[in-house]
Amino acid sequence: MNAVLEPVERYRALVDAAAPLLPGAHLDWLVAQRTEALEHFVQTGFPSRKQEAWRYTGLERVLEESWAPQAESVGTLKEADLARFRLSEDACVRLLFVNGRWMPELSSAATEVPVGVQVGGLRAALEEQPEQLVHRLGLAARSRQSSFTALNTALLDDGAWLQVSANTRLEAPIEILYLTVGQERTAIHPRNLLVLEEGAQATVIEHYASLDATPCFTNSLSEVLLGAGARLEHARLQDESAGARHMGNVFIEQGERSYYRGISVNLGGLWSRCEYHNRLQHTGARCDLDGLYVAGDRRLSDVHLEIEHGVPGCDSRQRFKGIVLGRGRAVFDGLIRVQPDAQKTDAHLSNDNLLLSRDAEVDTKPQLEIYADDVKCSHGTTVGQLEPAQVFYLRSRGIAAGVARRMLCLGFATEVLQDCSVTGFTERVQRRLQEHLEDTVVTLNGKEE
Amino acid sequence: MLKVTDLQVTVDDQPILKGLDLQVGRGEIHAIMGPNGSGKSSFAHVLAGREGYTVTGGEVLFDGEDLLALDVEQRARKGMFLALQYPVELPGVSTMVFLRESLNAVRAERGEPALDAASFIKLLREKARLVELNPELLKRAVNTGFSGGEKKRSEILQMALLEPKLAVLDETDSGLDIDALRIVADGVNALRSPDRSMILVTHYQRLLDYIEPDFVHVLSGGRIVRTGDKSLALELERRGYAWLDEGEAAA
Ligand SMILES: Nc1ncnc2c1ncn2[C@@H]1O[C@H](COP(=O)(O)OP(=O)(O)O)[C@@H](O)[C@H]1O
Ligand SMILES: [Mg+2]
Repeated sequence: MNAVLEPVERYRALVDAAAPLLPGAHLDWLVAQRTEALEHFVQTGFPSRKQEAWRYTGLERVLEESWAPQAESVGTLKEADLARFRLSEDACVRLLFVNGRWMPELSSAATEVPVGVQVGGLRAALEEQPEQLVHRLGLAARSRQSSFTALNTALLDDGAWLQVSANTRLEAPIEILYLTVGQERTAIHPRNLLVLEEGAQATVIEHYASLDATPCFTNSLSEVLLGAGARLEHARLQDESAGARHMGNVFIEQGERSYYRGISVNLGGLWSRCEYHNRLQHTGARCDLDGLYVAGDRRLSDVHLEIEHGVPGCDSRQRFKGIVLGRGRAVFDGLIRVQPDAQKTDAHLSNDNLLLSRDAEVDTKPQLEIYADDVKCSHGTTVGQLEPAQVFYLRSRGIAAGVARRMLCLGFATEVLQDCSVTGFTERVQRRLQEHLEDTVVTLNGKEE
Repeated sequence: MLKVTDLQVTVDDQPILKGLDLQVGRGEIHAIMGPNGSGKSSFAHVLAGREGYTVTGGEVLFDGEDLLALDVEQRARKGMFLALQYPVELPGVSTMVFLRESLNAVRAERGEPALDAASFIKLLREKARLVELNPELLKRAVNTGFSGGEKKRSEILQMALLEPKLAVLDETDSGLDIDALRIVADGVNALRSPDRSMILVTHYQRLLDYIEPDFVHVLSGGRIVRTGDKSLALELERRGYAWLDEGEAAA
């Protein structure tokens, strides 16, 4: 019991110390959210494996370290340091966050921002135009979802804020880069708020990366609010260093006939978990979510999806693929819930896993909970290894065995990446995956050659 | 080019090839025919180095070198090519990347420099014309969603690109309609050269109307039981394989 309580005390002290520095102390609505979240956190503590949602995911690696709050001084970063993290050549806006803090001087200037779009740091927005945030911030996020979401709210400080006004259509992507730079073992809790009003369209890339190998703990939470008929293409890439711990939550609220198209790639981190929560409460909404996770040797990668159809006539499609290397471990828990009123729901979930060694492990649990009778729903899951016939085919054309295996792994991943229309994203992920695979001996059916 | 002596192979301890002898000279075309299950594909796979086949006896020399001592990819780089009876689909693997990787691996072995993207594409288009393969297919993943005939043509395209010394075509004619058969045969004929030997594994005599072999062998019960010229193929067509068994029994 103490083992679980002790970190709670530690975090509580951390929140108390941080509180005076947090923005918006004069905003009652925000203070109320923070207070409630902290109370919830203190009462419930960190989850244990007895809770179904955490059964396969121990928290030891997150809780073993004493993570310092974000360091204010991060030294000097130059444009040149950032160039290698660029994903999309045609981004119309670039936002940079270093250890959770917005860096306006290294981000696109406000003057470059298209008409009808407000974009920048959440902290600045809370200080300068809280009236824009009051009925939006915290609307989609459920602080009580877990101790991590509660902590994110209790420590709500900075992150990306995007507001696209009605019927404004952004063609080029907005690229947000979250860099951790370690001097300390830093913990950051970015909160992002992406609001697309009626009929608005945008593409947003969230890219989490590390400048160096110092372990850090990122506990991010993104809130997505889509008005009626809005369309968002949302790409999320977690590519932090090998020692990173990463908890990411995405909460989505969709208006009528809105379209959310997500791609979620989890490559980095020693311990990584990514959750998507979407409650479809307005007719005609559609959610397509593709994902890829790679659990390297001795790493954990965990994906949780909760898609709830609450009204008739919504479509959702989730397609995730995982590659597990060495002694890596992956967890996939995907839930589609169809409430009694949600007739004519069309919901599909698939999860395919490629285990590249005998010691690789995956726990996959796709679930359909259906309480309506006139629906089209399906789920499917596979766990397999590289096909010897495929490896042979490539080798019989002169391609070295190791290269052949990497090509097949990339091909496996490419199937979920190829539909992503965000320029530069697929290529980036393919290149990074290739690097991961080159670092690891990819064995065939567990046999080293 | 190829000298197979008393080759014995088992799969899961079951004998499949039981003393196979075969000699293929430079530039020669040999047809291997035989009933279903006689071991034709097994023989082709053993030559290419497919795992799962255990060689329990005999020897295979390729250009004077011990073929069985080489890895699968080394055999391919030294000029052995197997067109599969059932070409494999590789979902998500770009055909262009695959073909270029393959060609450059083989070129490296021959001491030739890697082709840059532009020259590669030029060469590829030229070869695709040879087998009348729609270049749009090259933008897809390897063999993925290809029809049976397209897969076979894609195999011949790969052969045309890699310019092997010995090509083994395993039932490349099966499942093809008459037009596709002609296209594949034209492709193969265009690749005939005094330096290139071929082994055509086939079930039917049909293919041999288009590609004239120098020798025809009958594989039955894991051994070559009869060798002749192309008239042997016609005789098999007329009399069936049962006739051979009688011959065997009588011998
Ligand atoms: N991978 C394998 N595993 C088990 N049996 C096999 C395998 N490959 C071939 N065989 C067996 O070997 C024999 C020859 O098969 P095959 O070489 O495919 O003949 P063919 O190509 O002449 O029709 C058959 O009895 C077949 O069942
Ligand atoms: Mg066969």
